[in-house]
Amino acid sequence: MRSALLLTALAAASVLLGCGRGEQKAVRAPCPSGEACLEMGVGAEPTSLDPHRSSGTWERQIISDMLVGLTDADAAGEPVPGMATHWTTSADALTWTFFLRDAKWSDGVPVTADDFVAGLRRIVKPELAAEYAALVYPIKNAAPINEGKLPPEQLGVRAIDRRTVEITLEHPAPYLPYLLLHHVAFPVPKHMVDKYGDDDWMKPGNYVANGPYKLVSWSLGDRVVVVKNPLYWEADKLCFTRIHYYPTEDRISGERQVLSGTLDTHTPLVQNRIAYLRREYPQYLRTHQSLSTQYLFFNNTLPMWKDRRVRLALSMAVDRDFMTTKVRGMGEPAAYSFVPPGMPNYTPLPPPEWASWPLEKRQAEARRLLSEAGYGPKKPLKFEFMMRGYDPTGTYAAVQADWKQIGVQAVLNTTETQIAYQNYQIRDYVFGEAGWVADFPDAMNFLYLLDSKTGAHNYGGYNNPAYDALLAQANLEPDVQKRAAILRQAEQLMLDDIPIIPLFTYVTSNVTSPKLSGMVENPGDTHRARYMCKAELKK
Amino acid sequence: MLRFILRRLLVAIPTLFVIVTATFFLMRAAPGNPFDGERKLPPAIMKNIEARYGLDKPLIVQYGDYLADVVRGDFGPSLKYTGKSVNQIIAENFPTSLKIGLPALILATFLGILLGVIAALKHNRWPDYSAMAIAILGICIPTFVTAPLLVLIFAVKLSWLPIAGITQGLKSYILPVIVLSLPLIAVISRLVRAGMIETLNSNYVRTARAKGLPEHTVVIRHALKTALLPLVSYLGPACAAIITGSLVVEKIFGVPGLGKSFVLGALQRDYTVVMGVVILYAVLVIALNLIADVLYAVLDPRVKLT
Repeated sequence: MRSALLLTALAAASVLLGCGRGEQKAVRAPCPSGEACLEMGVGAEPTSLDPHRSSGTWERQIISDMLVGLTDADAAGEPVPGMATHWTTSADALTWTFFLRDAKWSDGVPVTADDFVAGLRRIVKPELAAEYAALVYPIKNAAPINEGKLPPEQLGVRAIDRRTVEITLEHPAPYLPYLLLHHVAFPVPKHMVDKYGDDDWMKPGNYVANGPYKLVSWSLGDRVVVVKNPLYWEADKLCFTRIHYYPTEDRISGERQVLSGTLDTHTPLVQNRIAYLRREYPQYLRTHQSLSTQYLFFNNTLPMWKDRRVRLALSMAVDRDFMTTKVRGMGEPAAYSFVPPGMPNYTPLPPPEWASWPLEKRQAEARRLLSEAGYGPKKPLKFEFMMRGYDPTGTYAAVQADWKQIGVQAVLNTTETQIAYQNYQIRDYVFGEAGWVADFPDAMNFLYLLDSKTGAHNYGGYNNPAYDALLAQANLEPDVQKRAAILRQAEQLMLDDIPIIPLFTYVTSNVTSPKLSGMVENPGDTHRARYMCKAELKK
Repeated sequence: MLRFILRRLLVAIPTLFVIVTATFFLMRAAPGNPFDGERKLPPAIMKNIEARYGLDKPLIVQYGDYLADVVRGDFGPSLKYTGKSVNQIIAENFPTSLKIGLPALILATFLGILLGVIAALKHNRWPDYSAMAIAILGICIPTFVTAPLLVLIFAVKLSWLPIAGITQGLKSYILPVIVLSLPLIAVISRLVRAGMIETLNSNYVRTARAKGLPEHTVVIRHALKTALLPLVSYLGPACAAIITGSLVVEKIFGVPGLGKSFVLGALQRDYTVVMGVVILYAVLVIALNLIADVLYAVLDPRVKLT
């Protein structure tokens, strides 16, 4: 009797669960008639819609659909003219002049050079306490102003006339057009900020936009609603007239909502779902190599890591390809250098010779190096490996197993993420792991991390005066090609020292309805809604 | 009765004070701070942020400032959600938690009592066993299992209900309410069953039966009232917990409730948010316990409130 019941239940369940997949009659949020709605899962609740008080990619998505900087991103995330139609650079690469288009805020007030000056002065003024202020430190005097040592008026940005902005830099920064499409460099509607103050101008009702969409409402945990800004200079080209952004914090739920047609796109994904989605829903899964590096690092201030042979042995023994394809199942590209491939104005360094050896040969060499350094079966190398949070993909367990093969005993220590970072910063650990994602696409954004002057952020405490000197030299070089050559020289010098063990390059991932067009995958995962459309909406 | 209520309300003030104080210092004793992250902020920026939130003052001064604000009903700005104040977060999210919590509570109470009474009346027979089996399953299977299962069946496969979000009106609330009520049904039915079995064996029920009253009058008019007493004391605090939201239900169904403020607030060291929701929760527990005590006196003539 009981088994019969069970069988019936199982049969019923398999009928329910086994039926067709793909989009069925989608349950979508109501869309006002006459409007074209884009339903977007952004993965988290915005902490703020103030361009100068937010730092997450999900906030960037919403804010960049409402505000436009001097430059803007094209569908593939590359800089194109934004509010500035064109710009010129001085011979020393320190002074940039931007010429603004004739445009209006969504309340009809013209956008002027003063709005940009106000925006950049705002993010560096100490009272705003902007977390991301350091991103604009390449602008002259930004750092001392942010530290309260100079008044904001001393910032290297000025309005030459109503439609011309001049930016003066501390040092040449060929990546400035990229930096300016980041929301830290966005203008603010000076007339509204003056009227409502720094805290209230960004509330729905007060928020005015110079971009394609304007804010309607933001209900915490539910959604942010924006509608087309008819005063945007290319308003007639917009396909969607209304966007709903959902804080799809449950990533699997977000994924399902796209697969069922409730949402048009959702990011990010649970990393270990990628293999499944690639197999079952290839037309929905979109990935791209990102500008990021996942790496392991030694606490280089400890005597136990003084011997380069030990560091080399540990790096050699990690089977990166097996880790990314078999353990993680996502097949991220293995990394042997710190600056990831795809960096503008940079050629990635070639992998070391041993990277092409078969694993057995690498293990044998690693064992030889360790025994030369005085380790062996009688005196194995033992240390504690501090991880940020738990390791759902088994990545570090794989590293641990690789090392076991060469007689190294690493104890994995799971530490709450924030606490792990703190310990890294005060060097209270033996061995650690971290990932770095580019703030802006430039090799310097990676290489500065290992500069001894970087301080707490240089988790491994790497200190090589020759490396520091090369970075300082590159920072002053106006010629882009020469600068890249110096940076490559610096990176090679650092990699030869092995203060870190690069593992792989992360991939960006999202699930997107195949019907949604205009979303081009790119390393920065930058997707402006203004380019998106659906075939059924095209006029 | 009135004196009892007044006295309890007066005692609530020092109770709340102790809770606020303990939470404040415990929260600050936790390692890390709300602005720790992958990117350590430059000292100058950190200083600016601390000055903005008054975190650079001595702890005891911060505590004094906080108490003064709380007395005025101002829970301060959220340290993580810089665009919102704690009052705003509670005002926006608490109604949604109520919208899910109250129906779940009503559904659970109704079904729980029904199952419990049936089980007690058919004591040690198959209705009892099946009701209690359901109850055990309800307690044992966590919501993070039932929620995705129900989503898979009713939203993904059958497309009857939305997968997540609250944009579909009433339909959006069905699954969250069911998931939230399942474990509650289980607990309530077991409580009612135990109370009912005990009451049905008591002398006054035997008297009622001896008088020849019909069975439904005995059960509903006489026995049920007493059998529900343990339920009343359970429902007070349970109600506070249910209406302040559940992280699991909110996350899986994308519901903007208050439950995640507790957990995420603590994990992100968002001091003000944690303090705000703890105070709200404490007030609710105190109030609902008081109501439970008063109800006790109403239901059971043996209880005197003095």
